[in-house]
Order: sequence, then C-alpha cells, then structure tokens
Amino acid sequence: MASGTTGTGIRHQLATGPYSALAPAAVLDTLTTSPRSSRSHLAPEDAFNAASPPRRLGGFDQHQHHSNNMSLLRDTVAAAGADVRSSRRRGESKFGSRSRSRRRKRNWKKILWVKQSYPDNYTDQNTFLDSMQRNPRLQPYEFWPLVADTTVIVQQVCSVTIFVVCFVGIFTERVSPVAVVGWGSFATFVGWAVWDWWVGQEGEDEVLQRQNSHRSRGAWQPRQDGGSANSTTAPTTPSATSSVTNLGSTERTTSQGNLLAMRSQHGGSVTSLHSNVSHNSRLLDPQDGLRHRPSSPLRRGRATLRLSTIKSASLIYFTILGLSPILKSLTRSTSPDSIWAMSFLLLAINIFFFDYSGGVGVKFPASLSTNAALMASTVLASRLPSTGQVFSLTLFSIEVFGLFPVFRRYARHRSWRYHVALTVLLTVGAGGGMGLILGEGRDGVWPWKSGLLGVLVGAFIVIVAMGASSWWLIGLQKYKNAMNGPWDQARPIIISRRQWEYD
Amino acid sequence: MPRLTYNIAMVSDFFFPQPGGVESHIYQLATKLVDRGHKVVVITHAYADRKGIRYLTNGIKVYHVPFAIIYRSATFPTVFSFFPVFRNIMIREQIDIVHGHASLSSLCHEALLHGRTMGLRTVFTDHSLFGFADAASILTNKLLKFILSDVDHVICVSHTSKENTVLRAALDPVMVSVIPNAVVSENFRPRKYPPEPPAPNNGFGNATPAVHHLGPNDPVVIVNLGESPQYSIHHCWVRSKSIDLEQMIEQNVLQDKVEMLGSVRHEQVRDVMIRGHIYLHPSLTEAFGTVLVEAASCGLYVVCTAVGGIPEVLPGHMTVFAKPEEDDLVVATGKAISSLRANKVRTEKFHDQVKAMYSWDNIAKRTERVYKGIMGDIPEADFYGYEVGNTAAWNGESHSGVRSFALIDRLKRYYGCGVWAGKLFCLCAVIDYLLFMFCEWVFPRDSIDIAADWPRKTYHSDDDD
Repeated sequence: MASGTTGTGIRHQLATGPYSALAPAAVLDTLTTSPRSSRSHLAPEDAFNAASPPRRLGGFDQHQHHSNNMSLLRDTVAAAGADVRSSRRRGESKFGSRSRSRRRKRNWKKILWVKQSYPDNYTDQNTFLDSMQRNPRLQPYEFWPLVADTTVIVQQVCSVTIFVVCFVGIFTERVSPVAVVGWGSFATFVGWAVWDWWVGQEGEDEVLQRQNSHRSRGAWQPRQDGGSANSTTAPTTPSATSSVTNLGSTERTTSQGNLLAMRSQHGGSVTSLHSNVSHNSRLLDPQDGLRHRPSSPLRRGRATLRLSTIKSASLIYFTILGLSPILKSLTRSTSPDSIWAMSFLLLAINIFFFDYSGGVGVKFPASLSTNAALMASTVLASRLPSTGQVFSLTLFSIEVFGLFPVFRRYARHRSWRYHVALTVLLTVGAGGGMGLILGEGRDGVWPWKSGLLGVLVGAFIVIVAMGASSWWLIGLQKYKNAMNGPWDQARPIIISRRQWEYD
Repeated sequence: MPRLTYNIAMVSDFFFPQPGGVESHIYQLATKLVDRGHKVVVITHAYADRKGIRYLTNGIKVYHVPFAIIYRSATFPTVFSFFPVFRNIMIREQIDIVHGHASLSSLCHEALLHGRTMGLRTVFTDHSLFGFADAASILTNKLLKFILSDVDHVICVSHTSKENTVLRAALDPVMVSVIPNAVVSENFRPRKYPPEPPAPNNGFGNATPAVHHLGPNDPVVIVNLGESPQYSIHHCWVRSKSIDLEQMIEQNVLQDKVEMLGSVRHEQVRDVMIRGHIYLHPSLTEAFGTVLVEAASCGLYVVCTAVGGIPEVLPGHMTVFAKPEEDDLVVATGKAISSLRANKVRTEKFHDQVKAMYSWDNIAKRTERVYKGIMGDIPEADFYGYEVGNTAAWNGESHSGVRSFALIDRLKRYYGCGVWAGKLFCLCAVIDYLLFMFCEWVFPRDSIDIAADWPRKTYHSDDDD
C-alpha cells in the first residue's frame, strides 16, 4: 500500500496542474510524519494545495487504486466488493467516491485538535446535529387542567366587565352611585372579614412551623424588599413596605401587611396623580411604630393591624372624597372619544398584564396592571357630572382592582370550591350586568328578561371561550419547536451559600 | 506559474484598537494571508483616536470608516448607508473577496449584502453561539438568515458552532467550513521553555491586542499548587472582579490566598498564566475557547466546563471536564490537583503538542482553500464534496455551490427567508441594487483611483503542515 501511495503521489504531482510543485513536499510530509499516510485519503493538504485530490487522478492511478482497494476489500467484505465492482461499471466518478468512502480507515471525529483527513466543510451524516434536542422539556397540555386554569382570566375579565357595567349604569343614571359604592363597600368589608378569618386560621396553623419559616425567610427577604421597592409608585412607600417585611414575624403578618401595603400603594397612585403624596407617610405610621416592637404577641399585633387597616381605609376614603371635585373637572377639555379609547386601552392593559400566576404571598403583583386600571377609572370618573358619582366610582375601582384580586387569590389558595363559586358568581354578575345595560332601559320596570338573557349569553360565551382557548392552545402545541443543543448557555447549578450559613 | 492570489477585504465592527478575540483573529488571519501572498484590507468603523486609513504590520491596510456606534462598538444598522464608501473601497483596492466577521457586527452584514450586489464573492465567519429562545437571538437569527442566504461560504470556529449556524441560518452544511481559532504559541510559552529567536520585525511595531478577550463576567481561576504537597490550594488568581467573589473571599477569609487581578492585558496573559498549574475555566458558553488553548500552551492543566465547542478544543489528557455545576467543578478540580500531584500529567509537553495542533499558518491555509473554492479555483465537485452527501440532491438545480449573481436568483433566495421577512429582504436587495446602479452613474468606476499595492510576498511551499 505504501509504495502504491508514493507512486500515486508522484504521478499525481506530474499529472496535475499549476500547483503541482507544492505536492511532493506535502506527500513526503504526510508519509513521514503522520501514520495516516495513505494518499488515498482526502487529506487537508489536498485542500490546501488546491491540487486535485486523489479522486481526480488519471485513469491509471484510479485503476491501481481500485485494484488495491479491491484486494483489500475482497477478503473482508465480499458483498461490498461486488458492489464496488458493479458501481465501477456504472461510472468512474461515482465509483471513486464510493470506494474512497469505504477506504477511510478513520472515522471523522468531532474534534478540532487533530488534522483529520476530511475537508473542512465535511459534514458527518452520523453525528451532525446529534446532540440537538427538540422540545426537550415539553409537557403536553391537557384539556381540563387548562380549562381550570382559564378561570383566573375569566375572573379578571368579569371583574373589569362589572366595573364597566357599573360605570355605564352610573353614567346613564340608571343606577344610583351610592348603591354601587354601598354594596361594593359592603362586599369588600365582608371579603376583608373572611380574608382576615382565613389568615388568622392559617396563622395558627403556622405557629408551629414558625421556627422553620423564620429560617427560610432570611433567604427570600432581600428579594422581596427589592421587588417592593421597584413596584411602588409613591416615593415614600418603599421604606415603609420594607419595614412591613422586617416586621414579619410570621407568614400571616407579612401577608396582612401585604394588604396594607397594597392599600397604601393604591392610595399613593391615586393621590400621586394630584401630587399629594404626603398622606402615605402618615398612612403607614402605625407600621413604623410596630417595627420597633417585633416581639409583640400575635393577637395584639393582629388587633393593631386591623386598627391600622381601618385607619388607612378611612384615610383613603376621605382623600378620595376630598379629591373628587378636582377629579370631576380633570378631563373636561378632552373629547369623550379620546376618553373612551384611552380607558379601553388602559383596561386592556389591566387584563393583559394582570398577574394571573401570583400566589398569596406575592407583594405588589403586576403594578402596571393595577395602575392602568386605576388610571382608567380616574379618567372615566372624570366624565361623570357630579362629585358623588366621581367619588363612588373611584372608590369602587379601588375595591375592584386593588383589593378584590387579593381576596380572589386567597380564595383560590384556600379552596378550589370557593374559587369556582366565585368564578360562577362573577360570570353571572358580568353577564347579567351586560344584559341590563344593553337591554333597553324602561324606567320603573325591572328588566329581568334582558338580565337573564345576559346571564345565559355571558355564561355561554365564557364556557365556549374557555373550551375554545384551551383547545386552541393544545392545537398550537404542534408548532412548538424549541431547539436546544450544546450551543445553549448552560444553566449553572450553584448551591445556595445562604442556606448553608443558616444551618 | 505564479500562485493565484486574491485581494481580500475583511469587514467587521470589531477590530483594533478595541481588544478581543474576533479582533485578534482577524489580525492574525490577515497577517498569515499576507504571508501567503494575498492582499488584505481590513474595514472597520472609526474609533475615537483611529480615523481614516492605517497600516499594520505586514502591510495590512485598515480603513476606519466613520459610523455611529450604538452598543459595545457595534455600529448602527443602517442597511444602505455604508454602500457608497464600501463600493469606493472595493474598487480602489480591487477586492475579489469580502470576508465578514462576527454575527453581531452590522457593518459586516452590510458589507456582505453590498458585496453580493457588486458581484463579489463573500465569506462569513461566525465567532459566537446563539440560542433560539430569547427575543434578541430570534432577531439576530433572522438577520443572519437574510445575510447568509446569499453568502458564498461560511466559516465557523468549531463543529458546535457549525451546527448552530446551520440551524440558525438554514444553510446547507457543505457550505459551512469549520476552521478553528489558533494561538501564537510563541507568545504562550511555559515557564522553563527556551525563548525562540525574535522574528524579524517589519518596522511597523507589533500590534497585539490590548486586553484579553474574556468578558468581565467570566471569572477565571488559575490555581497554583504549593511546592510542598501538604498545602492545599495556595493561590487563586481570579481574573475578574465581581461582588460575589469578593464576598466569598471575605466570608471565608481567603484574602491571602486569592488575588483578584481584574482584566489582564494580552501580552501579560502568559506571565499570569505561568504562575499557576491549573487553569479553571467555568464558562457557561463558548464557541471555541481560545484561552483554553493558550493556557494549555503555557503548560497549565485545564479544568473546564463541557459547554459549547469546548470539548472539541483540547484532547482529554490536557483537560478535565466538568458539568456546569458547582459540585462537579469542585470534584473535577480536585481530580486535576490529585493527578498533578501524582505526576500523571505531563504538562511540560503541552506546549509542543499545542503548537502542533493550532497554528495560524494552518488556519490561513485552510481559509485559503475556502477562498479558492468560492472563486472557482478548486473544482466545485471537490470543494463541495459531492461524495459526502446524497448525490441525487446535488444534481438538482438548487445545490448550494454556485451562487449566481443574477438579481433574480438572489431575490429567489431572499424570498425564501420567511413570509414577511422574505418580501422585506427582497425589497432591501432591490433597493441595494438600485443604489448600486445610482452609484455607478454618479461616481463612475473610471474616476476612482486604484490604490497602489504593497509588493506581494512570495510564498514558496506548503510544507509546514
């Protein structure tokens, strides 16, 4: 084989074109230095020399190659030899390629440090894209869980619808604003009472595990602080909320502080529209006071928190009351069309950016969403003619967009049954309300027919939408094509030092 | 008969005086191509203190084209505005091949597009890996697909990078070559290695990159074992400053054992490296990892994460691979230390081995083959290797080898890029062509002076393989 190779090389050199002067050195080099000296390989030198690689040899060379090759092959793979022979009859070039690929002793390897006897643009059919994974972490969706998950969206959309219905009712003077805000506040109070009860129950459950949770809190507390600082709107709130977090001796107090902070945030965003932020600091004064005695007993802390909640609620109440005359004339110079378009946009932002996945412990979920909704309500309220209407709508919007999501989240956390009941209730309310405002309003007659029709249509739309969207999402799964491979940035697994330190 | 030589324009946003891996790659490749008798012009954007035309060692001409820089010395993507200047340079320098570098360089993309419009052959070198998930990658990949759908050949620095690029730009694999980076092994000698006689200097000064090309977020640790075996890890030279690292050092009271170096100038890298025994490289993604080769060339045992193209770079006896996990890195480092202690690793041989593996001469040679292939100086069948693929596929019209310059063929290729993107790309190509026609009319070729060349080097043999 070796002699044949040398001959080939020299003949090759004689036979080929203008760069043949370079060939002998390369040939000698390959013969002396590297073990894979067979000239029949397509070596990188062939490529560099730009002389024709072995497959372009003259007829005689090729002949010799073939015979060499055949004699080698005949012993081992008889069938393959027959194949070669038959292909030889078919065509020289094709035959050459086949025999060459068979003659390759070394397989191509996916390494760079060895000069392999393959050209640079060689693509190995066996290993190319071998390590590519398609959709490696794909979890196929199932229908019913998806439908169940859509209920949170339905709840939010229904809340927004109910708010819009109330606005339209007040705007067309079909509904008394006092009734709206009265029932709304009553529902809020009941909801708060229930929520407080739930929280108290959970607090008692967790008293036993407090020590453990205390330890783990060290890990997540800084993160929470950062989050709250980012999402607050009023400049005084971050310090106050972080003090709430510091105070958190149990999970319970933290989440109660959550509500407070929530309120303060809403107060802040409402008041900040009129650059009247100073309320906030006063609003949270009790919190600051509390921070200095974190060892206060559970029950007393809860009572204080309740007191401060009532305090801040009344503060917000009176603030809005005081601001209503200003709000009323806020957008008088703006045309109604822009107001409708703007409030539609803002409510759409509320729905799209709402934090649907948030658990109960999340502080300030989706501040963009809440702020958009409150701005929408402010803008809508400014369309109303009387101060009482403005006040009612603004207060109602705070209840619907600020506090109600907290309650909904907790209800879902507590029991799936509550969640479903709430969803049904909201759907019925939204559908009925839509029916009422869309039906022609005859004064004095309770339009139960259009209301019932609205409920039915609303329920139908909700069910169809839930089913269809889930089904659609499942259908879209087949287009999912995530390609992962070694080129992806690795996700490092780092043991959290913090956990170690607390042990 | 004289060798065929080409006039090559290397285009990238990233070039000296800015430090980095792409920059030194372009420089080294250009130098070696000039040694092989080609003419190389580098086109980059203007830096604060570099404007106009400069010459580097070996007569490499650098055009610093004035362009607005938006982010990390990448120019603002203005699809067409580069064209008049580019055309002028191409005609002045009688360029045959436009060779663009780095997929984040908009200058490079523009040059490839205009080069094709002007009827030049184009090559693109991809230096980085991209995922497919995040928005920035999707955008970059679409842009890359636009540009690469009409490029003649693509060079990637590793096989992983090739797979990545083929997927990103939907290319035919045979038109993607894998040509790795290399190191100037003389600059990375181990501690007790005899220095080589200094190469004759051309009188231009040696323009080596200023700072090493690792990003500031890649902590790199060089571990030095104490002389006596009972000491544990003696010194770690940590190559980047980060708060986490400093905290770690303070918490574990390691101030006397860990030295924070920050970024190291390229010419000092060797001096830093030879102070250690182990090079620990916990990178999360890496297309090639030149620094690993440099470390091995300095005689360091390499511990690295098996990500990206890193497993292809160095043979197993020089490296210990780890998963990108904290535990595994510790285990791998421990393994490396114990095998070094047991004298199982012949680190003193690394330098010569690396020298044989990677050299810029070889890289330039292989790049030259790509140039010859796309210029048609290697028969197409040889260059594109018909035997490796499905033979039937190549007989069809749509084989990747020949990229026709006809506008309609280019438009066909662009049109296939996507439902909306395809039409947009076609529009761009058409406007580019009209712009070309306009330039030909307003600034006729005859009125553009031809730049005088440096005397070409004569290259004698290819025996240094």
